[in-house]
Amino acid sequence: MIETKNLTRKFRNITAVDNISFNIEKGEVFGFLGPNGAGKTTTIRMLACLISPTEGTATVAGYDIRSDPTKVRESIGILTENPSLYERLTAYENMDFFAAAYGIKTSDERQQRIRELLDFFNLWDRRNDKVATFSKGMKQKLAIVRAIVHRPPVLFLDEPTAGLDPESAKEIRDLMFQLSQHEKRTILLCTHHLEDAEKLCKRVLIMNKGRCILTGSPNELRDKINPQPVLEIELTKVSSIVLNAIKNENYAKEVKVLDQENIIAVSVGDARVDTPKIVRTIVEAQGQILSVKLLRPSLEEAYLKLIKEGKQQ
Amino acid sequence: MNMQKAWLVFKKDWLEIKRNWQVLLPIILLPLIFSVVFPIIISSVSNAPTQDVSSGDFQLLTANLPADVQALLAEMTPNQVMVYIMVLYFFAPFFLIIPVMASSVMASDSFAGERERKTIEALLATPISNSELLMGKILVSFIPAMIVTIASFAVYSTIVDIITFEIFNGILLLPNANWLIMIFGVAPVIAICSIGLTVIISAKVKGFKEAQQISVILLLPVLGLVFGQMSGLIILGPLVLAALIGILAVVDVAIIYAGVRMFQREEILAKNN
Ligand SMILES: Nc1ncnc2c1ncn2[C@@H]1O[C@H](COP(=O)(O)OP(=O)(O)O)[C@@H](O)[C@H]1O
Ligand SMILES: [Mg+2]
Repeated sequence: MIETKNLTRKFRNITAVDNISFNIEKGEVFGFLGPNGAGKTTTIRMLACLISPTEGTATVAGYDIRSDPTKVRESIGILTENPSLYERLTAYENMDFFAAAYGIKTSDERQQRIRELLDFFNLWDRRNDKVATFSKGMKQKLAIVRAIVHRPPVLFLDEPTAGLDPESAKEIRDLMFQLSQHEKRTILLCTHHLEDAEKLCKRVLIMNKGRCILTGSPNELRDKINPQPVLEIELTKVSSIVLNAIKNENYAKEVKVLDQENIIAVSVGDARVDTPKIVRTIVEAQGQILSVKLLRPSLEEAYLKLIKEGKQQ
Repeated sequence: MNMQKAWLVFKKDWLEIKRNWQVLLPIILLPLIFSVVFPIIISSVSNAPTQDVSSGDFQLLTANLPADVQALLAEMTPNQVMVYIMVLYFFAPFFLIIPVMASSVMASDSFAGERERKTIEALLATPISNSELLMGKILVSFIPAMIVTIASFAVYSTIVDIITFEIFNGILLLPNANWLIMIFGVAPVIAICSIGLTVIISAKVKGFKEAQQISVILLLPVLGLVFGQMSGLIILGPLVLAALIGILAVVDVAIIYAGVRMFQREEILAKNN
């Protein structure tokens, strides 16, 4: 649905986006991660035909961003970094203008669609209030309504949950899930909330200083950072007999005891093979197991580590 | 170009401008002053004792009027001459300030203002084409500017006619051919010129305020006409007005062409951040 090839954008002395290539499939939620200034917004702006690339090309929904910008614009919905709403107009006037601009012809059709979406966010009652009186979160929701009002097959969402309360963030996450799962819309999601990326994205791309550092599923990403899985085993009591028994096994690469909690952390080669072995060893050494947990580094840890490595280079 | 889309942009911008006092105030106030205060001045002059009004104040202007007007004036009382010249000549070029100022205030808000308020990004993301956007925004500067120009002309004419009706024994001074050419011929081309220049200025500056401040320069040529006529150098007769329309029309084409080239949506966001 989206294909980019060596996409590059320079501003005078800086290269905001440097040779980015990726493909996004239909119905996929693709995550765009990276610190401030990484070039996420600039990439989205190029894909939405808002600024032209310095080099490289891309196709969106089958149309080339250089030769067919109007067709691209018709096929996408975009949530920009700023809500970009007319503060002197009411919520309804804003939505009605954009719905018409995106080609919804009759005012009945527009009203029906706008009502459906404003109802979803509980904003229909506020439709006749000026946007200037709206809270940040309400503006954000309104901007999302604008992005999807014309049912575009491709959506670009630039930090949709930034600065929202947890409840609103969840509403928006649920909406994104519904859009991709049930309506098969393709979503490019820029986010700082790794939780969002983890819950929604099949694949993510991590960017820093305009370059792509890594592309893959959240799981692949974690494995790349920390290839050794860690087992956390909670016992009623950590005895030296149990500890020594584990240390003597060659699959246990590293053994740590978390003092206060009676937990042993064991690094292993392959969790699927080694977990049963460890459990047997502990039981044979008279240990009483309360729980066994396979630990993976959180996406956040993986992300922070990658960015840090990028900075050191 | 799809005119429906241009109208859509027009309606949206108009809705915004209608609720913006910063924009409305100057474009209502100035025409109001011109169309009401000028007739009051005329009225007070016409009521003054005859010996106080010597045509000396307008000697330069009068001396350069065409022969047929001179002949007309020769048969009038000094008081009538005074009123006649003030109503039809002296105040005329002031009314060209209205389309220049109104259209540039509105164009500043529509172009530089929209970018300053950061609403331009979502607008540029829509499938409305460059020419439709530009057309909608030019119309929203042009149409209201022409409406206030014509309205102030109508108000001025009405008040003037009421005041001078008796002085000229039932002859109505306005509207006359000169004024009609000025309001319906010169005003539109001068408004377009001012809009085009404001589009260019708006692309270069940060915000609405600066765009407006720089566009004040546009008033200079019009003030030139005001003083030119006062000093008798230029008399706004049919020929001069026709020449003005011709010259401005050519300038319009050049400026709009340059404005279209400046209004490249792919670079509007890139330039400013
Ligand atoms: N219009 C612009 N002019 C100059 N520099 C810009 C412009 N837009 C973005 N940049 C620069 O490009 C880099 C990437 O910015 P951006 O794409 O907004 O990052 P992100 O969205 O990932 O935070 C930043 O260094 C930013 O300063
Ligand atoms: Mg950004």
